Amino acid sequence: MDPDAPASLVEQPSGALAVTNTRTEFRSKAELNRIRRQREARKTYGRGPRIDVKNVKDKKLRRNLTALESKYKAAALKAKEAEILLENQAGFLEPETELERTYKVRQDDIQHEVGLDVAQKRFELKLDALGPYVCEYSRNGRDLILAGRKGHVATMDWREGKLGCELQLGETVRDARFLHNNQFFAVAQKKYVYIYDHHGVELHCLKKHVEVSHMEFLPYHFLLATLSISGQLKYQDTSTGQIVAEIPTKLGTPVSLCQNPYNAILHVGQQNGTVTLWSPNSTEPLVKLLAHRGPVRSLAVDREGRYMVSAGQDNRMAVWDVRNFKEAVSSYFTRAPASSVAISDTGLTAVGWGTKTTVWRGLFSKAKAVQEKVQSPYMTWGGDGQGIERVRWCPFEDVLGIGHSEGFSSIVVPGAGEANYDALEVNPFETKKQRQEGEVKALLNKLQPEMIALDPNFIGNLDLRSEKQRQADRDLDAPKEDIVEEMRKRARGKNGALKKYLRKQRKKNIIDEKRLKAEEIYKEMLEKKDEKHKEKQAELGPALARFAR
Amino acid sequence: MPGRQAHGRPLLPGPANVANGKKPGKSHARTFKKSRAKATAKALDAFAIAAEEVPESTRGVRTRGLEDRPAKRPRRGDDGEEEDFNGFDDEDDAPRKKARRGDDDGFSDGAGGEDGESDSEEWHVGVNAEDEDSEIDSDEAFGESDEERFDGYAFSGSSSKNNKKKKKPQKRRGDEEVDDDDDEGEEEEDDEDDLESLGSDAIDLATALDQYEEDEDEEEEEGSGSEEDQESADSDDESEDDEVDPSKLGELESMIAGFAGDEDKEEEAEPAQTGKTKLSLKDLGLTGIKDEHIKKSLRLMSKEEKAVKPGSSKKLEVPLAKRQQDKLMRSAAYEKTTETLDRWIETVKHNRRADHLVFPLAQNAHDRGLSTGELMPITQKTSGTELEQTILAIMEESGLGPSATSQQKNDGEAAPQLTQAEIQEIARQRRRERELHSREMARAKRIKKIKSKTYRRIHRKEMKRLEEAELEAKLEAGELDSEEEREALDRRRALERVGTRLRESKWAKLGKKAGRAVWDENFRASLSEAARRQEDLRRRIEGRANGSDNDDDDDDDDSASDASGDGDVRRRLRAELEKAAAYEEDDEPKSKLMQMKFMQRGEEQRRKENEEAIAELRRQLDSDGEGLSEDDEKEIGRRQYGMGNSTATATTPAQASKLKAAESRPSVGSTAAAAGPEPARSQSNAQANGPSGGGAWTSTEAEPSAPGAAGVWSQVETSGKKSKKASKVRGAEIDISSATIVAAQPSQAKPQAQAAKGGEAQDGGQDSDEEFVSHLPMAIRDQKLIERAFAGEDVHGQFEEEKAEVEREDDEKEIDNTLPGWGSWVGEGVSKREQRRHQGRFVTKVEGVKKTDRKDYKLKGVIISEKRVKKNDKYLASQLPHPFESQHQYERSLRLPMGPEWSTKETFQDATKPRVILKQGIIAPMSKPMY
Repeated sequence: MDPDAPASLVEQPSGALAVTNTRTEFRSKAELNRIRRQREARKTYGRGPRIDVKNVKDKKLRRNLTALESKYKAAALKAKEAEILLENQAGFLEPETELERTYKVRQDDIQHEVGLDVAQKRFELKLDALGPYVCEYSRNGRDLILAGRKGHVATMDWREGKLGCELQLGETVRDARFLHNNQFFAVAQKKYVYIYDHHGVELHCLKKHVEVSHMEFLPYHFLLATLSISGQLKYQDTSTGQIVAEIPTKLGTPVSLCQNPYNAILHVGQQNGTVTLWSPNSTEPLVKLLAHRGPVRSLAVDREGRYMVSAGQDNRMAVWDVRNFKEAVSSYFTRAPASSVAISDTGLTAVGWGTKTTVWRGLFSKAKAVQEKVQSPYMTWGGDGQGIERVRWCPFEDVLGIGHSEGFSSIVVPGAGEANYDALEVNPFETKKQRQEGEVKALLNKLQPEMIALDPNFIGNLDLRSEKQRQADRDLDAPKEDIVEEMRKRARGKNGALKKYLRKQRKKNIIDEKRLKAEEIYKEMLEKKDEKHKEKQAELGPALARFAR
Repeated sequence: MPGRQAHGRPLLPGPANVANGKKPGKSHARTFKKSRAKATAKALDAFAIAAEEVPESTRGVRTRGLEDRPAKRPRRGDDGEEEDFNGFDDEDDAPRKKARRGDDDGFSDGAGGEDGESDSEEWHVGVNAEDEDSEIDSDEAFGESDEERFDGYAFSGSSSKNNKKKKKPQKRRGDEEVDDDDDEGEEEEDDEDDLESLGSDAIDLATALDQYEEDEDEEEEEGSGSEEDQESADSDDESEDDEVDPSKLGELESMIAGFAGDEDKEEEAEPAQTGKTKLSLKDLGLTGIKDEHIKKSLRLMSKEEKAVKPGSSKKLEVPLAKRQQDKLMRSAAYEKTTETLDRWIETVKHNRRADHLVFPLAQNAHDRGLSTGELMPITQKTSGTELEQTILAIMEESGLGPSATSQQKNDGEAAPQLTQAEIQEIARQRRRERELHSREMARAKRIKKIKSKTYRRIHRKEMKRLEEAELEAKLEAGELDSEEEREALDRRRALERVGTRLRESKWAKLGKKAGRAVWDENFRASLSEAARRQEDLRRRIEGRANGSDNDDDDDDDDSASDASGDGDVRRRLRAELEKAAAYEEDDEPKSKLMQMKFMQRGEEQRRKENEEAIAELRRQLDSDGEGLSEDDEKEIGRRQYGMGNSTATATTPAQASKLKAAESRPSVGSTAAAAGPEPARSQSNAQANGPSGGGAWTSTEAEPSAPGAAGVWSQVETSGKKSKKASKVRGAEIDISSATIVAAQPSQAKPQAQAAKGGEAQDGGQDSDEEFVSHLPMAIRDQKLIERAFAGEDVHGQFEEEKAEVEREDDEKEIDNTLPGWGSWVGEGVSKREQRRHQGRFVTKVEGVKKTDRKDYKLKGVIISEKRVKKNDKYLASQLPHPFESQHQYERSLRLPMGPEWSTKETFQDATKPRVILKQGIIAPMSKPMY
């Protein structure tokens, strides 16, 4: 038991309340404060359970581990202390009395109350000809892409109302999405996926992605994942252009797709009410869970990758704890099957259903051990006859973008955006130069697709397979990688491969197995040559030996 | 090792100089080239040679020999034999004799008067001629002579002591010098002969000198003097009478004087000897000697000369052999060095374990030892030294001290800045505040104070003590303002500054120019806000703004009451109570706020309560002290919210009624309609009695619910929700046991709920539960429709099937690889038993995941793939890295990422800081251990 844990009451089976963790020794107030701070820091910034250092026998290891633990502790404390730098606070609409309901607050009321700059963020775009529109924001929330089903695609800097580019494609557009920044975007058109730059110039036509209905972009891996009507899930590396994985989902036409931003796993909602989890590394789903009785219409995963909200055709909305795949709360009902679900940075959940959009607050909270069912929504919008197509939260803003059949609406939802952005991560106010540098950095820090797994922290962990298992796993049919043979075969002549290889390697000063072998071969060759020479000399006799070659 | 031998210490007295006259050429087989050369150079100058030998004359070996002499004297008959040996020796050795040796003999001969000088010279010449090729022969010769000599000793028996003497040092010196010892043995014999020739006088002299020379003995042992030296010394001793150097004569005499009258006549020799020891090296011409061993011994000798006093009779132990001594020395030296090195161990350990090392080291910095701390002003407290105190006193005297300046500051700050207008402003402010503060509220407070006076009185002293302690602590810390206060002040100031900046900002100026204040309400509001804040801040700067007059008053009252006795207290309390009761509305102008209806109403109610409280108090005061004290006790530790005692009394009936309602509920039975009204009514009663917070309650009660027609399911849900809410408000006292009963209860309140919900429902379409409930018929219908719609597909069943299949697939399997017909007969006519016998002969077991081991074993509706993701293996560690003992430790060490994205800047920099940091400068080694 943690000695620093606060005292708490535990109910015994008999009904008596037992006090656990009673404090028996006297501590000063400062000490108590310090302990409390440490506990809080560990809770929010700690990295897993501590190891028991005392049982380590090796002295040096013990010392090192103790130092490590103290380092972790200090790091957590520092992180906690650095919270003081998070100067902006997120605020929600708060009812003054119990009679008041926040969902009764109309957009007009909010617009009237808030400052001018915030009020400007609410706007409507009336685009009723080429409707219903899907919308997506760029990662930093600066840019917005709108794609009408009938072929109208437009990007814009929505805050300034500046149009980036506008395309009339003249064919069905199912989805559109920005890539790693606002410079490129992909559009899933009738047959193929196309990539355009910010001027609207078509850069690539991805002919391998056929009839794509959903797209996701994994920003840390530079992977564009597409899900076609036929159920093919394809990953394409947008930095190298290679297709990383092509996986048939084999579960019919998929209905929805979303990514878990925590571990880059794709969640696919299927027709039969299951949600399947995919990584590019396996051809079958990592997890399959039965979420709804009908098709899973929409999915969203929160920023920390803990909770998933799914909405199905059966008018239900379910909240899942995706770390252990349990349903966190018995489901909520939507009046009509939800068309789109989105979760904001602060955990507000927007659900678009029918002609309306509902925003829920506190559907899940990691602070609570058991999730409670929320009784009433936080805000509502709509009901004016425009069928909602997609809802998306604007990053770092209290803004919800709603793409619908009549165009696009941006509404203000207080407390939706992350108040304190991390400029090392995504900078909503970045300059051109910063964007460029960020792009290079992101490319340098690009993660490999093989690193995608349910637990993203697996990297560097110990391989726990038994040797037998490893033997079995080894591909015995694979041709042996024989450097020696390869070298020998090619190392003929004056400028053979071996010499060339060695010449180049010697400059590099990298010593690996291959090079060692190469050196060995080279030595052997020299010896052989020497021997031959001597033989020749012997043949020629002492007088003529000097002419031996 | 010729060098060693040449200067080696003679362990045995040299062989007797048997025939001083007869055989001038003494046997000296082992010689050292260098000394030989030197000897030849000096051969002619007898005196110089003598002088050279003098210091060595004091060598102890020879003295040891002297000791023996008396013992030997009676056995002179032995000499013959020895002579024989010597003669034997001489035949071989004579030609190879060392020059120096020859010198000695020459000298001694001279001294003895028996040998002619020519002899020595002859011998010298001989040596000179043949010295080159002596070595090998001598070795051989000694081998022989040695044997013979030992034989001689063995036979003689008389020389047993001598023999012993010989062997002892031999042992000490070790094997390597066996040859040397041989020489020495010879020499000893020589010596003995010498003595004999000298006669009894010389022997007496030696015995007389014994004491003194024993001291020197040790010195000799230590030194590496050569035999020849002793020999020469020997001769010196004997020849002093004739050959005394006139220059040294004075010294000799003084030595004699030093021995005073203790010595006999024979001891005349002694001063001579001691005088000789006093000869300086320069005199001996030994300063130029390069051989280190000699030098060392010489140095030691000179030291000894100074240290040892003549006549000291202390007998020293026989010194250890050089080898042993060296060993001891080495071990001692080793210990010493380890000790010195041990001092560094801690430092080295620390440095090895240190995360970072910075060079050049701080301890070598040029400004080391200088304090870099800030210099603080001297105050009465901090002035430690006398100088500081005096200077402080002077400063104080001249009005420049710290106290004076602070006083000045206070004066300057307080006085001139309070203008008339500001004072008025403050007064106005206060009045406004007072007005806002309900009068009755104030009265209630007063009453409460009176009530709790006793309590206060008890705690007052303690508080005071605490306060004093705190104040003292603060004073001690040298700051009256606490950190927090100061910080808060700073923050306020900063805010103020921001405010002024705002006022002077472009925005404000633009606004002013455009006359925005005229039409824009927001602008105006923000302007006024800024102004207000500035005002507030200015006041704060002037002093601790909003006065604490009231508090002061209270304190006065308290202190007054405190001073008096118990009866006094009661009287005073009563008086105060009277005052509080008499407190009437004065005719101060009422603010707009106060003129409002609801405020007045509230005020009225409070007044009523206060009256009641006063009445109660009076009653208590009248009845007796006990009652009062009881009341007071009841007051202790309990919070009072302004309404006095009446609140409690008011609430209790309400609670009772509530309880009653709760009790009544289960008893009502199953008919909802009948039971419904009663609890509802009772609850509403409770609300009516309850405090003003009742508003919230009504909302809870007036919760909407489904119409009576709604299904039981919905009702249950409602009741569940209701109970939750109710419990939140009221606590756990009301237990709603029967769902159906309570379901009926809200149905009573339904109409008004519906009415309240009306607008909301119209504009809403909200998904809220309430809403859902209010539209239940439709929702239910929806649900049912949906259920019916999805009834065709048994999704769950399908999924379970699938899961079972996956489980089977992943499970452990046994595969029968038996081939029918392989090792057994098949076909018709084979008995079943035979067939069975061959059935599972070759079974392979395939490892898998058991159903119970699956990750999704306990999860319903979830299939988690148990297959390895092979592509991920690339990033796994194939084996546990060395220092770690367990997987857990290793994986823990990877938990904290290094990058700046995941930790604070400080942590990041700490983690990436290089281990060794080099700064520009000379990197000197550590001058002393650091730990």
